[in-house]
Amino acid sequence: MATTLCSRAVQKLGWLPCTQSVRHGSKSVTRHRKPVHFLKQKLMALTQYIPPQPAVSERCIIPPSKQVQEESGLTRLLKREVEALFRDNKMVAVFQNNAVTAEDMLQLKHRLMKHGIAVKFYPNQVARSYLSDSKYSNLLPLFIGQNVLLVSREPKVKEMLQTLRTMPHIILLGACVEDALLSRQGVLNYSKLPSLAVIQGEVVGGLSLMTSQTASLLQHHPLQLSRLLQQYVKQQSEGDGGETEGAEAR
Amino acid sequence: MFAFLKTTFLGLTRSSRVTGSLQNQLKLLVAGMKTYEEPPDYSGVVLPERPKLKFINKVPNFKKAKKEMKKLRDIRGPAQTANTFARGQYGIVALGGGYLHWGHIEMMRLTINRRIDPRTTFARWRVNAPYKPITRKGLGQRMGGGKGAIDHYVTPVRCGRMVLELGGRCEFGEVEPILTEVAKKLPFPAKVVSRESLAAMYQEERERELNNQNPWTFQRVVSTNMLGIRKVLSPFDLRHNGKYVGKFRLPGRV
Repeated sequence: MATTLCSRAVQKLGWLPCTQSVRHGSKSVTRHRKPVHFLKQKLMALTQYIPPQPAVSERCIIPPSKQVQEESGLTRLLKREVEALFRDNKMVAVFQNNAVTAEDMLQLKHRLMKHGIAVKFYPNQVARSYLSDSKYSNLLPLFIGQNVLLVSREPKVKEMLQTLRTMPHIILLGACVEDALLSRQGVLNYSKLPSLAVIQGEVVGGLSLMTSQTASLLQHHPLQLSRLLQQYVKQQSEGDGGETEGAEAR
Repeated sequence: MFAFLKTTFLGLTRSSRVTGSLQNQLKLLVAGMKTYEEPPDYSGVVLPERPKLKFINKVPNFKKAKKEMKKLRDIRGPAQTANTFARGQYGIVALGGGYLHWGHIEMMRLTINRRIDPRTTFARWRVNAPYKPITRKGLGQRMGGGKGAIDHYVTPVRCGRMVLELGGRCEFGEVEPILTEVAKKLPFPAKVVSRESLAAMYQEERERELNNQNPWTFQRVVSTNMLGIRKVLSPFDLRHNGKYVGKFRLPGRV
């Protein structure tokens, strides 16, 4: 009974395989990699890791996540500046600058400051983010690549173009003059327009054309006036006669 | 005479202007949009009093040194203690088993104490001082005649154990080169980790176990003793699921 109890206790603790290999060359923990029993090699080969392979690769389905970057304080500040720029200045012209040296830029700034035109540099990122939300969204295609903004409170296009005539590498792209978007050609045409006083004079003249003509007519010599009236009556009678003849012929 | 002076003067100015524009090109500053990440906040980090690694004795101070059996099982298998971070942020984790003797420990201590700035970083040991005696017989001695005398002491290190920890007001990029320099010289393969990278490592292992497409795993075959495979395997293979062989860790085993 004691033996049966003991054997039962032993059985409960654990079990060892019936046969164990006795011959072994080295200890279990060695510095070198021990030669592995063939059956164990087979077991290791059978139980290798197989990664999951979906029918369609993940890369084809999942779109690359666009990291939405938060606007930094600097971006917000510059955006406010750009907003103020568009609000306060009547003329905002966009130019492309190709490798302008610092001296040239200084001289240009000096010359333009005399006419009250300021030279502004803003990062494209900031400008585009502002323009896409504002009413000037059509200016977006201009803000690609290296550009300069020339702004002034009064629209002084002619002086601006004159100063920039000596700099062929600063190229006009477009402008927003008094809330009107102008292309390059538009700006050139705008510059060729005469001053406001001249245009106003022309409009007034056009409106008062008829009255001025009649006034000049009446101021002619009375002989000339009588001759004109006779000619007019003759033409009228000829015209009537021609019409009646035409009516009779039909 | 004046004309001559004028021409020379103009010539000089012209040449100087040309060379001036080429040499002293003023920098045209244009506003770019590089936004920088905020630097990390170290306000909660407290540096201990002695930031450098403590000196470790070569020999433990016993009254009577006892010779010990080889007991290579202290190298075998994964580490159950000291396998996570305690106080530091970055550390070296052992990827294999081995013995660290006083030479290795001194190398680590000297390198790290030399390279870290004690005002901003601190380092801590995660291994004990050498306590296991290793005996050696004299040169040319034949087999037999008893066990040899104690030669030196070592610290056993299992796979997965933290060896060193670094922390303080520093980033991983600053600390990595120092730790790799040390990790390369250790007698077992070691890896430089941070808290996040270690957690990621273990997470990846667990994920691999879960998404393994092979229906036959080592654990399944051996625990059920399919084909009587346990005849050629040891009980430790059942415990370690085929990931460890002696002191080595087999990477890629699930």
